[in-house]
Amino acid sequence: MNWTTAIPEIFLSVAGLAILVFGVLRGRYSGPGNALVCSMLVLASFAVAAILIIGGNHGIGYNGQFTTDAFSSYAKLLILAGAALGLVLSLDYNRLEGLARFEFPVLVLLSTVGMMVMVSASSMMTLYLGLELQSLSLYVLAAFARDTLRSSEAGLKFFVLGALASGLLLYGISLVYGFSGTMDFNVLARSFADPAGVAPGLIVGVVFIVAGLAFKISAVPFHMWTPDVYEGAPTPVTGFFSTAPKVAAICLIVRLMGTPFGHLLASWQQLIVLVSIASMVLGSLAAIGQTNIKRLMAYSSIGHMGYALIGLAVGTAEGVRGVLIYMVTYVFMNAGTFACLIAMRRRGIALDKISDLSGLGRTDPMLAGWMTVFMFSMAGIPPMSGFFGKLYVFLAAVQAGMWTLAVIGVLTSVIGAYYYLRIIKVMYFDEGGEAFDRRPMSLSVVAAAAGLFTLFFFVFPAPFVGAAQAAARVLFG
Amino acid sequence: MEVGITHYLVVSAILLVLGVFGIFLNRKNVIVILMSIELILLAVNLNFVAFSAALNDLAGQIMAMFVLTVAAAEAAIGLAIVVVYFRNRGSIQVEDVTLMKG
Amino acid sequence: MIYAVAILAPLAGALVSGLSGRVIGDRAAQAVSIFVMVLAAVCGSIAFFSLANSDMEPAFVSLGSWVDVGTFHADWDLRYDTLSAAMVAMVTFVSTLIHIYSVGYMGHDKYPKYRFFAYLNLFTFAMLMLVTADNLLQLFFGWEGVGLASYLLIGYWYDRPAACAAAIKAFLVNRIADVFFAVGIALTFVKFGTIEFNSIFAAVPQHVADTYAIFGGSYPALEVIAFLLFIGAMGKSAQIGLHVWLPDAMEGPTPVSALIHAATMVTAGVFLMARMSPVMEFAPTALAFVTFIGATTALFAATVGCVQNDIKRVIAYSTCSQLGYMFAAAGVGAYQVSMYHLITHAFFKALLFLGAGSVIHAMSDEQDMRRMGGLAKYAPWTCALMWIGNLALAGIPPLAGSWSKDAIISATYAAGSGVGTYAFFCTVAAAFLTAFYSWRLLFMTFHGRSNADPHALEHAHESPFVMVGPLLVLAVGAIFAGWLLNNWFIGEGSAEFWRGSIYNLPGKDILARLEQVPTLVEYLPLGMAIAGIALAYLFYIANPRLPVRLADSYAGIYRFLLNKWYFDELYNAILVRPAMRLAAFLWHTGDARLIDGMPNGLAALAAGSSRETVKLQTGSIAVYAFTMLIGVVALVSVFLVFR
Repeated sequence: MNWTTAIPEIFLSVAGLAILVFGVLRGRYSGPGNALVCSMLVLASFAVAAILIIGGNHGIGYNGQFTTDAFSSYAKLLILAGAALGLVLSLDYNRLEGLARFEFPVLVLLSTVGMMVMVSASSMMTLYLGLELQSLSLYVLAAFARDTLRSSEAGLKFFVLGALASGLLLYGISLVYGFSGTMDFNVLARSFADPAGVAPGLIVGVVFIVAGLAFKISAVPFHMWTPDVYEGAPTPVTGFFSTAPKVAAICLIVRLMGTPFGHLLASWQQLIVLVSIASMVLGSLAAIGQTNIKRLMAYSSIGHMGYALIGLAVGTAEGVRGVLIYMVTYVFMNAGTFACLIAMRRRGIALDKISDLSGLGRTDPMLAGWMTVFMFSMAGIPPMSGFFGKLYVFLAAVQAGMWTLAVIGVLTSVIGAYYYLRIIKVMYFDEGGEAFDRRPMSLSVVAAAAGLFTLFFFVFPAPFVGAAQAAARVLFG
Repeated sequence: MEVGITHYLVVSAILLVLGVFGIFLNRKNVIVILMSIELILLAVNLNFVAFSAALNDLAGQIMAMFVLTVAAAEAAIGLAIVVVYFRNRGSIQVEDVTLMKG
Repeated sequence: MIYAVAILAPLAGALVSGLSGRVIGDRAAQAVSIFVMVLAAVCGSIAFFSLANSDMEPAFVSLGSWVDVGTFHADWDLRYDTLSAAMVAMVTFVSTLIHIYSVGYMGHDKYPKYRFFAYLNLFTFAMLMLVTADNLLQLFFGWEGVGLASYLLIGYWYDRPAACAAAIKAFLVNRIADVFFAVGIALTFVKFGTIEFNSIFAAVPQHVADTYAIFGGSYPALEVIAFLLFIGAMGKSAQIGLHVWLPDAMEGPTPVSALIHAATMVTAGVFLMARMSPVMEFAPTALAFVTFIGATTALFAATVGCVQNDIKRVIAYSTCSQLGYMFAAAGVGAYQVSMYHLITHAFFKALLFLGAGSVIHAMSDEQDMRRMGGLAKYAPWTCALMWIGNLALAGIPPLAGSWSKDAIISATYAAGSGVGTYAFFCTVAAAFLTAFYSWRLLFMTFHGRSNADPHALEHAHESPFVMVGPLLVLAVGAIFAGWLLNNWFIGEGSAEFWRGSIYNLPGKDILARLEQVPTLVEYLPLGMAIAGIALAYLFYIANPRLPVRLADSYAGIYRFLLNKWYFDELYNAILVRPAMRLAAFLWHTGDARLIDGMPNGLAALAAGSSRETVKLQTGSIAVYAFTMLIGVVALVSVFLVFR
């Protein structure tokens, strides 16, 4: 049995438990210092895990339950990057909001382990366990501000609907298992070699699985939880929700559609196309009327998932390459945006109205500048990275002759550009309120790092494109 | 009449539908929603075990064990969140959980 | 490695001083940018001399892959051949001196200075990317980068309307030219399937007979490409027609004029001709056009320079004229000679600009020469150094200008073609005018009776050493560069020096024919220069009333020259005003009624559908769960139906 394939996950799990014990022993009431130390330890373990992933060997382990390949390594590094950014964002916010408890970084770490297991899963059993580890940690994170009604309501909604989605997913898994006799992805793939002889029960199972996962990436019509949870959860948690878990879930869908259900392309393609179009349209339309910027980001992320799904709907290596590039650009511009949103505080009160941004161009040109970069990137305006993300998926769609999808994508991104540009307009042209509180160093660092990445992605896209290409080839040869 | 795989499937499907309907037809209490979720997981478990027996394959039963374990953790977290919510809101009426919308 | 340091150090400097200038303060930002420039200059010089003194083959420093889409492929590569290395050495060297000079010149500026130094660093980086590019796209990146930096620096004093207008003008005129350049690059890719220099150059002979069919006619492909590239070069190098931005660009701080609008950026067009010589050589018509434009510019700008009163504008037109010389030489195939003049010109023109800056600094920001005069006793060092610069510019042996400028005039003569002869007469006449306006400048500024505002004169002073020091170094260059570089650039050692980085069509060896021009031709420029100086002496020292009388009696010609041949007015009448009218029409009718009407309607529609979509989002868990269930049911039916 090749157990070495899971070394990064094993390391992170052990590190997570160790940090948990460490935090408890240092005394859970020793204040924010404890949380800071634990966060640093978690960040260090992320760095070690990243090194282990880069240096680790590829292969299948645990009797076919667990696969490490170029695809999973790519996804895991991106997940770690997203989780690390999210954790850094939370450092000062939690301190200021009185949420600095050491469980927070540990929960982030455990959910990250869950995500890493998800993208490496090559059996339904591993998939489910990774997914639940991730989800259970995220439920708690959503309700982390346990003394505020909004946060606990967000946690409750997320939990109930998430559990329902898990139930649907599990039901789908049970049907697939029952009608094919296996849970192993590679064996499943072989049993679908002749699409004509596939039982309808199996098909229903596949749809249930897709529905369960679509919930995780908040694709329409399984998106309903997203705006409420995004609004209610503490802002860094929202930022975290919108990066790493999305990467994990979309990579998991891609792997499922590529490996076990690869032969059913003609059948699930319609499904993904519908979900993708619905997400793009709803994401761009519903965001227009929003006044709360976290809600707006929720609809924005629904729309972005729609664009990313275009790449999967195409069902070629180019398409998947587009998805993977899209996720890289998405993670960084989203983390940067949330860094700017977390900086929105006046006299110690966190703000989340779009109108609170007015006059930012004068009071804090640096922050407004980064925000402009991120909004341009989200709107897909060159030369920001977001443009290239869209370019690669649209390109794949056009190459595969799926013109309708590409055209709808372009149209909705034009509508979407409206509300991104509106934020820029509010920042620079609306009569402003007073300046925000002095922002902590951690936010400036994340905003600058993500901003430089977004701004200068076009200079060095090749390493990312190359890695995405290699990763996509694994699934869609 | 012999009890075959189909019967198990039908029972489990009924359980699933009951569970799902329990979530959105229930207007009263969040606890009922938690019970509905358990019902869904039970339906799934029934499926797994039935298939496992029919296929003569152990994987389904192992999966059922995992699902049971996870369901326990899920129930714990769910109840904790409900408690937190109750402390803030003073009620666990389902129709009260609508602070955020739009 | 050392080469890459030379190119990337300014980028690091720009990032550090630009992004953290506010935090670390002006002094630290200045220190950082000067440190990186010194580092770059040392590395650049080492790289150049080690290449020049060895027999190394041209090499590449690869920085990574950039664009890789289908067959389109572009890398970040630094080309390390003689042409690039010489430019790198020159750019880093001159740029370093100007950075140091700026510390003194910008000393009293009211704005935070880190921004200025960050821009200068950024400019240097972009210029270095331009000259070391190994493919057309990277070259274009640098090309646009220097354009951007130039725009930012011309408009540096953003509260002066004239500076902003000049910045916009420079930007617009350059964009017009860049469109042609970009089309040229695109056509190159279409024709050759690559934009990498080596692959293009290797494939040129196969495409000599190719043609494009455009507008009903059929044109040789290489000619079309060469034409487009040259029009791009015309914009950047301010050749006649597209020169209008350069004099206005003098609104920027003087160190900027010296660095960007004299020594480096404006020579990018000349560099492009030399870099693309393997293509240009196969486009004889385009080359003739290059010579024609270059020679015309040389003469035209010199005539205008003779009547300008702003000290910086005189030097600006002089730059324009000297660039014309370089193009004239490139057009007859003597790229080596034009590169030679490019390098020597960088020294003495930077010297002149910085000297002019020193004068302006001494006179408390007075730029009009009519309100100067007799400054020699207030600023003796500046005066002496300006004399050296002008002697070099006018081509008095043995200073730098005489070597390279005489070589250009000889080359146009030696070319023997019709357009070459035209260029010969133009450049000889321009040599006369060059000497005239140079000494006009010297006499009006430093000698004769002082017309200066007595108040300003009270404060007139020699500039601090931090400004004079760089001038001294440049003066040494202006004296010796011609003599030192002659053998390498165009003399016996030239073939070995260039090592194929410049291509000449076999049998055209213009360099060899330079030696065979008649003695009269060789000494003609010197004679013209002396005559020009003598005339200037007559007009501005011996008999200062003469020019006024002359201007009165030939008022038409004088006004024509004073108004720069009415180029600005012409463009205003045929381009700007119709464009404004069209814009006004489009604004009132097209935009306000049609365009705004449509999006407003669409926006209302979108906002309406937005409200409808959001109505579903009631916040109720039951509704959310129900939607999910509906979703599953819908997807299952779709799946079963479309299977």
